[in-house]
Amino acid sequence: MVILRYSRLGTRRFVSHIDVLRDFARIVRRADIPVAYSGGFNPHALLFFAPPTPVGIGSVAEYVAIDTPLSPEEVMAAFNSAVTEEMRATEAFSTARNPNLAGRICAAEYVFPFAADAYDFSRGLTLDYMKKGERVTESAGDRILSVGEREGRLLLTLACGNVTLRADRVFDALKRELVAAADVSDVMKTEQFIRADVGLLAVKAALAAENAAQVGK
Amino acid sequence: MLPLLSRAEKPSRYTGGEWNAVVKEHPRARFCLCFPDLYEIGMSNLGMQILYSEINSHEDLACERCYAPAEDMAALLREAALPLTSLESAIPLKDFDVLGFSVQFELLYTGILYMLDLAGIPFRAADRGEEWPILLAGGPCAVNPEPYADFFDCVVIGEGEGVDVAVLELAAEGREKGWSKREILARASRLTGVYVPSVHKEGEKVVKAVFRDFEHAPYPVRPVVANTEAVHDRAVIELYRGCASGCRFCQAGYYYRPIRERSPEKCAEQAKEIVRNTGHGEIAMCSLSTGDYTGLHALMDGLRGFVHENKVNLSLPSLRLSSFSGDIAQESRRSSLTFAPEAGTQRLRNVINKNVTDEEIDNIARAFEVGYDSVKLYFMLGLPTETDEDIAGIAAICARLRELYYKTRGKRGPNISVSCAVFIPKPCTPFQWEAQISFSEMLRKQNYLRGLLRRIKGVTFSWHGAESSVLEAALARGDRRLSYVIERAYALGAKFDSWSEKFDWEAWQRAFADEGIDMEEYTGEWDTAAELPWDFIDTGVTKRYLLAQRKLAYEGVTTRSCREGCNGCGANKLGRCTIEW
Repeated sequence: MVILRYSRLGTRRFVSHIDVLRDFARIVRRADIPVAYSGGFNPHALLFFAPPTPVGIGSVAEYVAIDTPLSPEEVMAAFNSAVTEEMRATEAFSTARNPNLAGRICAAEYVFPFAADAYDFSRGLTLDYMKKGERVTESAGDRILSVGEREGRLLLTLACGNVTLRADRVFDALKRELVAAADVSDVMKTEQFIRADVGLLAVKAALAAENAAQVGK
Repeated sequence: MLPLLSRAEKPSRYTGGEWNAVVKEHPRARFCLCFPDLYEIGMSNLGMQILYSEINSHEDLACERCYAPAEDMAALLREAALPLTSLESAIPLKDFDVLGFSVQFELLYTGILYMLDLAGIPFRAADRGEEWPILLAGGPCAVNPEPYADFFDCVVIGEGEGVDVAVLELAAEGREKGWSKREILARASRLTGVYVPSVHKEGEKVVKAVFRDFEHAPYPVRPVVANTEAVHDRAVIELYRGCASGCRFCQAGYYYRPIRERSPEKCAEQAKEIVRNTGHGEIAMCSLSTGDYTGLHALMDGLRGFVHENKVNLSLPSLRLSSFSGDIAQESRRSSLTFAPEAGTQRLRNVINKNVTDEEIDNIARAFEVGYDSVKLYFMLGLPTETDEDIAGIAAICARLRELYYKTRGKRGPNISVSCAVFIPKPCTPFQWEAQISFSEMLRKQNYLRGLLRRIKGVTFSWHGAESSVLEAALARGDRRLSYVIERAYALGAKFDSWSEKFDWEAWQRAFADEGIDMEEYTGEWDTAAELPWDFIDTGVTKRYLLAQRKLAYEGVTTRSCREGCNGCGANKLGRCTIEW
């Protein structure tokens, strides 16, 4: 099993998750990456994705696990020859077993296009959005796991997985509160985390703890 | 459009940046292919991919794309006062050298105006001075360009390969040498297949462009891969142009003559290359009647190993009943087969020259034998000479298929889906003079058939909207006067007419009324002695041949397939028919 960390930059951030899934079936085929296929009437490539990133939001920390006999180096090189620059993989790992990213990832970190101290989170944050034609008003509550700063900008770690908080909804709420002129496409996902005994571990560290071999930075 | 993406529905329609898209920094001239329908539809169009790759294969020329934005994006553009731009370089359409509109069928005419409107370009060629790009139209509807001719500087009649590039090169040369637009267009009018309404005199013949060496015609082996699910996400190979069958209602069958086949070796090679370059998981064969392709078995042999190795699905659309064979159907992992008998009785099939016999319909049993459980059948209502007996024949076919299924599979219930379009008399066919049945007759026939099919289990029935069929007929045989109706309908809100939920029949009825034009003038029967709006288009097939075919139709006499011998339609004067006899 090879795990790739890849990007979702430029126009790629507007591709929906379902289209990303379709695209990957084509990418592995044109990259000539041998992949195990499911059985059944319509066999599909065995690809396992981390939780989706909302349409419009960029990312440098997308993950996919590919059931292939190739080495991480080979997969990364082949993958990068078959995608546009905006989607390039930066790191690759190999693990003995399927790391079950979708099931284990429980948080993701985002940089928001607001000043780090622009909003006082001790006040709580109210989300207000439309879901299936109905208006939902709810508190972000404890789904904002941490508040921090990166290069002066607001850095939030949001719950993701079974309990989840969508970054685009957080963005909308903050934009409304701050009356700021920012665009959701300026939000960037920078890391995803797996829960471990010691707390949240970045995917990379979690995989390393499980003796994954790594290539890339 | 980039700043608006966060607020758009399905924003990946507008981003460009697809795999295999071509971006050029400083080309000598820029062409923008414009498709007057949504991205998902336009990205599935083979003609767009062919021309895109052909123009871009010239190092100094650039071809970009633009699709009609959905209405939410159009509203955002208007609100932000931004013009419609191309996908590749986000250049406003008005800044291109040439805009080439793909006009696939009549209900897209308002889409042209919708895009021009959003691009801030005046609709009528006469209102556009030197500062505007050259507007060109092409595609199947060029067979009768009159209803929209006033909107364009030139129309490519026939096949665009080679011609679009020639027009773009003229535009480039003209800009470099300071020619007026009139001068450029005058030169363009001398190219075979280029109709320039402002230059050609009334009635002056325009000969259709035909790419003779089809084997070596430019082909997109590196097609652009859609960002979001397109109607067809697959590798498409084009087996041949034209059709040997000679169905008398079929415009494509007449318009794309002479028949030119591509070798199975070339097709297989292109299919493999496209899969390698795109990663598509399906190969589709495109032609007017795939089952009739001489090299079908050789092609399947050539692809068998590759398809298996690469987990690629081979799909076989549009099989003719007579050419169906179980072994070919077995190659495809489809569960459903599609056939188009078009009419319910042998008598009416003879009239339309759809050479499908009752015995051949029984052939479907072979498909049941190899495991197929569902059949899709396409028919037309309102064909010339049709009676209720012919309509009852459709139901009889469905009942017969149930019986055959029971015999071969020993159980009941294949899924049969019957889809009925309304016959539309189209230019350059033997039925170009026929009347379309009246609106009330359409509804009566649909209801009659629905009643009959209800009595047969496992049959689902779908039909085309009667209103849009009337409009399609009126526009198909339209003349110059209809450009005012199209403009008026657009002003009244008509757009995306091919989407049933968007189709605005009232706007169209009002537009005709406002312009004082009777729609029935265009949908009724036409005198065979009268001059037709598209008579100046020379498709190769002579009017004499069309009239002779019409006479045979009324006599119920069929014409053999071109594969059995030349029927002398005249098209081979534009290029040799290359089929094995």
